[in-house]
Amino acid sequence: MEQNILRLPAEQLFQKEIDALIAAERDPVPTGWRMSPKSVRTYICGGRAGGVEITPKYIGQERLVEIAIATLVTDRALLLIGEPGTAKSWLSEHLTAAINGDSTKVVQGTAGTTEEQIRYSWNYAMLIANGPSQEAMLKSPVFRAMETGTIARVEEISRCASEVQDALISLLSEKRISVPELGEEVAARKGFSVIATANTRDKGVNEMSAALKRRFNIVVLPAPATLEAEMEIVNTRVAQLSQGLDLNASLPPQETVEKVCTIFRELREGQTLDRTQKLKTTSGVLSTAEAISLLCNSMALAGSFGSGKVSDEDLAAGLQGAVIKEEDKDGVAWKEYLENVMKKRGLKWMGLYRACRDLTEDR
Amino acid sequence: MTNANTRRPHIFGIRHLSPAGAFYLRTYLEEKRPRLVLIEGPSDLGDVLEPITRPETKPPIAILAYTKETPVETILYPFAEYSPEYQAILWCRERGAACRFMDLPSEVFLGIARQRLGREEGPASERGEEERLNVYALLDEQAGEDGHETFWERTLEQTNRAQSYHQGANLFGESLRELSAGQEEDWPEILVREAYMRRQIRSALAEGFDPGEIVVVTGAYHVQGLLDPQAPPMSDREFALLPRAQASHTLMPYSDYRLSTRSGYGAGNKAPAYYQLIWEGLRRGEPSYAASAYLTRMAAFQRQQGMGVSSAEVIEALRLAGSLAKLRGGVQPALRDLRDAAVTCMGGGNPASLALARADVEIGTRIGALPQGVSRTSIQEDFYRQLGEWKLEKYRDIAAQDLALDLRENRNVSSRKAAFLDLYRSFFLHQLRVLGICFASLQQVSQDNATWAEHWVLRWSPEAEIQLVESALKGDTVAQAASFLLKEQAESAGSISGVAQVIEDAFTCGMEAALHYATGALQAMAVDAASLEELAQTASRLSAVIRYGSIRNLEAAPLTPILQQLFLRACLILPGACVCDEAASQGIAEAMEKLNRVQLAHEFLEQELWLGALEETARRDDLNTRLSGFAAAILLERGAMDEESLRLQVLRRLSRGVPAQLGAGWFEGLAGKNRYALIARLSLWEQLDAYLASLDGEEFKRALVFLRRAFADFSSLEKDEIAENLGELWGLNGQQVSEQLNASLKGEEQKLVESLGDFDFDL
Repeated sequence: MEQNILRLPAEQLFQKEIDALIAAERDPVPTGWRMSPKSVRTYICGGRAGGVEITPKYIGQERLVEIAIATLVTDRALLLIGEPGTAKSWLSEHLTAAINGDSTKVVQGTAGTTEEQIRYSWNYAMLIANGPSQEAMLKSPVFRAMETGTIARVEEISRCASEVQDALISLLSEKRISVPELGEEVAARKGFSVIATANTRDKGVNEMSAALKRRFNIVVLPAPATLEAEMEIVNTRVAQLSQGLDLNASLPPQETVEKVCTIFRELREGQTLDRTQKLKTTSGVLSTAEAISLLCNSMALAGSFGSGKVSDEDLAAGLQGAVIKEEDKDGVAWKEYLENVMKKRGLKWMGLYRACRDLTEDR
Repeated sequence: MTNANTRRPHIFGIRHLSPAGAFYLRTYLEEKRPRLVLIEGPSDLGDVLEPITRPETKPPIAILAYTKETPVETILYPFAEYSPEYQAILWCRERGAACRFMDLPSEVFLGIARQRLGREEGPASERGEEERLNVYALLDEQAGEDGHETFWERTLEQTNRAQSYHQGANLFGESLRELSAGQEEDWPEILVREAYMRRQIRSALAEGFDPGEIVVVTGAYHVQGLLDPQAPPMSDREFALLPRAQASHTLMPYSDYRLSTRSGYGAGNKAPAYYQLIWEGLRRGEPSYAASAYLTRMAAFQRQQGMGVSSAEVIEALRLAGSLAKLRGGVQPALRDLRDAAVTCMGGGNPASLALARADVEIGTRIGALPQGVSRTSIQEDFYRQLGEWKLEKYRDIAAQDLALDLRENRNVSSRKAAFLDLYRSFFLHQLRVLGICFASLQQVSQDNATWAEHWVLRWSPEAEIQLVESALKGDTVAQAASFLLKEQAESAGSISGVAQVIEDAFTCGMEAALHYATGALQAMAVDAASLEELAQTASRLSAVIRYGSIRNLEAAPLTPILQQLFLRACLILPGACVCDEAASQGIAEAMEKLNRVQLAHEFLEQELWLGALEETARRDDLNTRLSGFAAAILLERGAMDEESLRLQVLRRLSRGVPAQLGAGWFEGLAGKNRYALIARLSLWEQLDAYLASLDGEEFKRALVFLRRAFADFSSLEKDEIAENLGELWGLNGQQVSEQLNASLKGEEQKLVESLGDFDFDL
């Protein structure tokens, strides 16, 4: 059955590792948690437990992970902030998977998210038929997390309207939710907390109020610090993803990954890696996550229509799509990059340069 | 226990600048009650022990030893209040125990440093840093986290019993030694030092101290080396063989900031103010004091800066720091935990938002103090005496402070000293400036009161103290040293303007003797040829000295003949100097301006001579036209050129046939001065207008470049008035012309101007 599921939740994907960590547990486990904070760190940052190799899930500053875990130990809510594609949701999913073995209590923040989705709503047929009752109540993920003493996730909190954000304030400070219709008040059990994520690019959408911010410990996730770190992330994720997706293509060679990461980093930072040349930046973010999906996409192209090996043409198509988000501005930046940087990089880059140039001329 | 063991004194391994070490060392000393304490420090510096213990002494302080000959080598032993060595010295004083330093004498340390310098031709200090890094880089790798600082803090600063600190430090030193013994670059030096320390211990035993009555306080690293029964103490012969350098030493006040910049083992630590908090926590018996004090201070600082930080956030930060520490197996949060927690809870996850607060809370602004007259070099004595005498003591502070001086006599007070207080201050500060002591820096003042006002910014720092000590080689007082330096500079100056600089310095320092000496040097040199710029520079310096001599109570008369001599020379070579290219003309124009001002300021300089030289320059056609124009401008300004000759000049210079760039260059020179006089002359603009109209396209382009430059720094008001003139000529409304002139370039015009960039100016 599991074979047919597109994307398994983290706790199922890494079931083995979680079990191994729980079995090898030696440190005290906080109430409501399934493993000790140290084991959570091992789960996220990699290591060994018993005889099992734990793969690193988050590649980057281990210290940030520590701060995140320590925050949850103190029953404070955690807010992960960062550019798109800096593994905010990824980290929040794995944190809940390790701590609760359940990463599925998620509220996805959108412009249409309502207060009911944070608190609770009703099955109206039953409400009208029988009046308010426990059975007629539809509990939100946050409500369920409070009842069970686990962690709820709120994704993209800054996209929610401010009244929805405000609904969280009382939940986080009182740690209880009142249901006046039933004359009840549900107190959160130990272990309850919230991990929210917010996008720095979306800052202006619905700026979080100071009151709400105060209820969170804020951890800012940076873009990968070095080319090597970024390549490692891309390699690991592409391997994991392609396993699940049957792409019929071999993994892209290191050289290709390096090229993609180099291009992304250079355009993102507005300068070449050796810092000798300034570049125009593009309107898109060009995050690590995009690099990953770009490579998977190229693999799919190669697997379905090509030789099964990622060729420069497969890559070029994806690159152009990823870089050029707004035709006028990005098109120019991309052409300049091709001519001024890529063309001059010599033989190794020639194939990719030609493929990209052919595409831009087609347009 | 074997006999060898019983012959050993007690030994307490420490880390320098370690609060817990200082605290538990005191406990240890209380327990052992030694009659003699031997401390790692140069054995010939014992005389500073007494002043260190005086109640007026406030750490951070440092012992500075320095060579008596140049280049000056120094070694520095900083002590904070939480330095174990400092506390041991205090304890000895309180309990009446003897206290001695037992490391190599400072002259040997400096001798070794000098030898090393000779051998490697590299800056010794940098090399020293590298050597340290070797061991500690290794340790950083082993310790995980972010290096040995945090490792040390977690494992040893947070121990809660004397016993565990003692054993932990020894173990630490031992494993460090195993890790690195023999591989360090300064390993031979370490062996020599340890042999010497063993020698010191042995001689203490020989004096009749019982081993049980001695406590040795040394870096944990050396514990093994000192206890090693196999290693012999240094013999007399070996001791005699060590290199030596003539050395002196002094106590000096130190600062938290300085401690923090000299990171690396022993010399400093990165967060002196935070370590001070740990020390206070230990003294209060509250192990968690440092954590809460750190965070509350951080919050207080943020509030002062107008950033809201609630108490709830402080509490949350404290909790977070606690759980971060637990993740690392610590009991109390270490600095790293506190810092990260503060950033997360108070700084919105952004480290930059707390950078200032961190500097304040971690590093601090404390500076040390020493009692009056404590073992200083005579120049330091003099410095501090003068600070007192000129009422400058309050400026001896780590924060920069302004000081405005009024050099004129204050007639409201009776004594001469009080009347000229600011003048004496100025002399003193200028002397420091000449000596390169970074205590006072002179700021520019506005023109209107430049003759009698000075504006200084004063900021004390340990560097200043060190520079002061280094100046001790030059003289016994500040004035002597400055005078010595000025003489040296006068002798080595390669040009007359260099000597003039010395004269000016001697003048501002109020040093008559040096002034006369430099004047003699200038006279001797003035015979030689010098360029116009050089002459102008020198003349304007001398002129300043002569003009303002009275305000500094100095007799400047001997300078008059030299100035006359230089001025004459300048007048004679002026026309010749004006044969130059475009690039050199700027410097010459400035020189002309300077000379003009000098001439105006002194009646004893012949006006006729100067005007004659200018007229020649203005008249001749074979000189740089811009300079000719400028000479004309000066003449015009001084009323030495009448309307008629100006008209003729303009006609001649701006006529067809003269290459356009020469004509426009001349006009640029003319417009370099007294613009209002030019603007007011309508006829001038008429001529310019007619001239431009006469040019063809290519010529116009050439002229345009120079004209654009000529008008570039005209204000818009001035442009308005020119516009009015032109408007009148063309019969237009002045307003419209002005709008056109002041409007910025339009797209097409911009393109045209850019295309000028490709224009070939080579003729």
